[in-house]
Amino acid sequence: MAKQLGRDQQGITLRGSAEIVAEFFFYGINSILYQRGIYPPETFTRVQKYGLTLLITTDPELKNYLNNVVEQMKEWLYKCSVQRLVVVISSIENNDVLERWQFDIECDRTAKDESAPREKTQKAIQDEIRSVIRQITATVTFLPLLEAACAFDLLIYTDKDLAVPEKWEESGPQFIANSEEVCLRSFTTTIHKVNSTVAYKKDSFP
Amino acid sequence: MEDLENNTTVFSTLRSLNNFISQRMEGVSGLATPGSSQSSLQIQYQQRVQLEEQAGQIHSKSQLLQVEREKMQMELSHKRARIELEKAATTNARNYEREADRNQELLTRIKQYQERETEAENKLKEQMEMNKSYKKSMETMSKKLQEKESKLAEANETITILKGKISELQWNIMNQEMQMTSQDSQKQELMEQLDVQQKKWQEASQQIQTLQAGQSLLAEYEQKIKDLEQKLSQQEHDAVIVKNMKAELARFPKMERELRQLREENAYFREMKENNGLLKEEVEGLQRKLERYEKVQAQLVTVELENEKLLGKLKSWEKLDQSTGLNIRTPDDLSRQIVALQQRELVLKEQNSTITNSARMLEKARQQLQEEILRVQSQLLDEKKKREQHEALVRRLQKRVLLLTKERDGMRAILESYDSELTPSEHSPQLSRRMREAEEMVQKLHAHNTELELEVEMKVLKSQECTAEQSTVVTKEEVDTLRLKIEELEAERSKLEEENRSLEMKLEKLTVQGDYDPSRTKVLHLSMNPASLAKQQRKEEQQQLQEECERLRELVRVLEGGGAIPGNLEGVGGFQSPQEVAELKKQVESAELKNQRLKEVFQTKIQEFRKVCYTLTGYQIDITTENQYRLTSIYAEHQGDCLLFKASSSGGKMQLLETEFSRTIRELIELHLLRQDSIPAFLSALTLDLFSRQTIA
Repeated sequence: MAKQLGRDQQGITLRGSAEIVAEFFFYGINSILYQRGIYPPETFTRVQKYGLTLLITTDPELKNYLNNVVEQMKEWLYKCSVQRLVVVISSIENNDVLERWQFDIECDRTAKDESAPREKTQKAIQDEIRSVIRQITATVTFLPLLEAACAFDLLIYTDKDLAVPEKWEESGPQFIANSEEVCLRSFTTTIHKVNSTVAYKKDSFP
Repeated sequence: MEDLENNTTVFSTLRSLNNFISQRMEGVSGLATPGSSQSSLQIQYQQRVQLEEQAGQIHSKSQLLQVEREKMQMELSHKRARIELEKAATTNARNYEREADRNQELLTRIKQYQERETEAENKLKEQMEMNKSYKKSMETMSKKLQEKESKLAEANETITILKGKISELQWNIMNQEMQMTSQDSQKQELMEQLDVQQKKWQEASQQIQTLQAGQSLLAEYEQKIKDLEQKLSQQEHDAVIVKNMKAELARFPKMERELRQLREENAYFREMKENNGLLKEEVEGLQRKLERYEKVQAQLVTVELENEKLLGKLKSWEKLDQSTGLNIRTPDDLSRQIVALQQRELVLKEQNSTITNSARMLEKARQQLQEEILRVQSQLLDEKKKREQHEALVRRLQKRVLLLTKERDGMRAILESYDSELTPSEHSPQLSRRMREAEEMVQKLHAHNTELELEVEMKVLKSQECTAEQSTVVTKEEVDTLRLKIEELEAERSKLEEENRSLEMKLEKLTVQGDYDPSRTKVLHLSMNPASLAKQQRKEEQQQLQEECERLRELVRVLEGGGAIPGNLEGVGGFQSPQEVAELKKQVESAELKNQRLKEVFQTKIQEFRKVCYTLTGYQIDITTENQYRLTSIYAEHQGDCLLFKASSSGGKMQLLETEFSRTIRELIELHLLRQDSIPAFLSALTLDLFSRQTIA
């Protein structure tokens, strides 16, 4: 937080923007996992962030996994070679994809060459992120119940020519067969712009 | 101090001497230089004398100083001797004082010793007195001793008495120990009873545990009851909600009716509106008619005015025949004249039209002629150009001809010169040959020229034709084709725009659904991700469950078959460990043993009891069938003599059944059973009777 406060007076650099977006993904994914009941609620603990009380997991394996992914995202955001991050929620029994949370990232590549930081206050970015996370919480009202036991996976859409690091592999896009999409709010740090949408499987009964 | 002062004076005098000498030397030296040699000797002598005087002074001073020094030293030694003497005196004085003090001390000591002597004598006296007193006390003490000895003797007597008592007491103790042993035995009995009680207590505790288990079950049931009550309450709530919904639903038909009414009213109002519209239109139409009629009225007024004007005009027209010279009296004549005028007019118009046509024709002819003129002029210009070109050509050709003639002349001159050089015989054929060659060349050139001219003419004519045609036709064709192309392109463009829009929509939808461009992006994820881990766990669980299922099926088959559980299945039997199974087997064996022992014990007890009953009461009681008891007396005469009793279902009342033996003892039966209604009396009477018979027999 001290570094970010220092940056607040200086403006947003590419590295700072990458950190902000990666942090948002960490807390956003934790919120989704809690709201959709992928993991039991007693494994989550409360923290204060963006002026909200958010819940993050205490399961060490899951924490480790999320930290690995977020660190890699930070690097790729700094290189501006990531286009999208998708949280895929699928049923364990029959591998059906039930929900797809898609975050499109538009990166301003000219920020790599600039040396001067951009003018946008931390507070404004935090307000935008807060409204996105509130919307994620509010989607619970219209998303269909996840009855069966579910597991989640994180897919990252990157440039074709990016080197695939160890422990990462290529996968399919895991579309939903009969889907309904809802667009949520977006936020921007003037270097990275993140658009959020959620797609869910339409019920067989209307 | 004085020495030092003396030394300093010595040094100061030495220093002053040196200074003086140096000054004198300087004065001497100063004096020496300007002085002459004669005076110098004197001066030197004087100087020497002075110096010697000074030296003598100095010597004397030094001697003085030495003497003074010695004096000082002598004084010092005197002083020292004085001081030493004084010191010796002081020390002597001190010694004297010390000895005086010592004397005084010794005197004081003597006095002290004398005093001590007197004190010692006094103490002696006192101690002698003390001795006497002690002796007296000793006598008293001895008397006391004697008394005490007497007391001791008494005490010994008492001791003997007490010993007797002690022996009694010991005997009492023995008795008490006996009692103790008896009490111990009692205690053991009590302990046994305690054990029994403890066992009972354990049983009670087990019962308590069972009770607690029951209570826990109760609690569970209560919880279930609560859950059910909650469900009930929820259902009540739901029922309430359902009621509300019913109420709302009840309102529904009303709402429908209202709706229908509203729709009818709506339709009615629409009709009314249409009617209103129609009426409005009618009104508008009527208004327009009104307006028209008003206009017509106005027109009427104007028409009347016109009428009056026309009448006036008629009158003027009627007056016309008077004014004009023509034979007009009636309007028919006017009309005839007018017709005639019109016919004349028509004729004139026809002439006019013909004239205009002819004028047009003439104009067209004129324009054509003008065009012909223009064409002719252009042709003229072209021909002028051609002529000029031809003239230019002609000039060129003439120039060439001139050049050629000049060449020819030159050649001829050369030839003539050559020929003049050569013999005349050979002259003429060569000349003629050359002439022919030259003529042939000229003819060739002429032909070439004419051909060139013809080609030039043809080319000029062709170019003129082409330009004339293309100028008119090409433009129209181009315009038409261009227009067609433009229309086609615009149609294509619109189609392409629509396709573009539809494709963009599809693309957006697909991107929102998650599609991507495989040539530019790829999808990555971690190999160890939660979904794959969950799938693996599920597979493993499924495998484990299947294996357990198979194992349990085998176990079930074996158990149903009744065979002994083989060792490997025991171990595989899953949830029960072999230890628990062995324990359960042991418990079963021990329970079976207990059962057997109990059975044996019961049998022996029963047999004993029956024997005792037989010996005490004299009857052997056997149970033949349910509720039927057969009694055989100990004194029965025959082995088959028996009485049969039947017990009622409750077991309280017995009934005697008929047997052969019972017929022989009817009297007894009547007496005891029927009249007295007492089976024991009957039985005892029977035994007495049989016993009497036996003893007699």
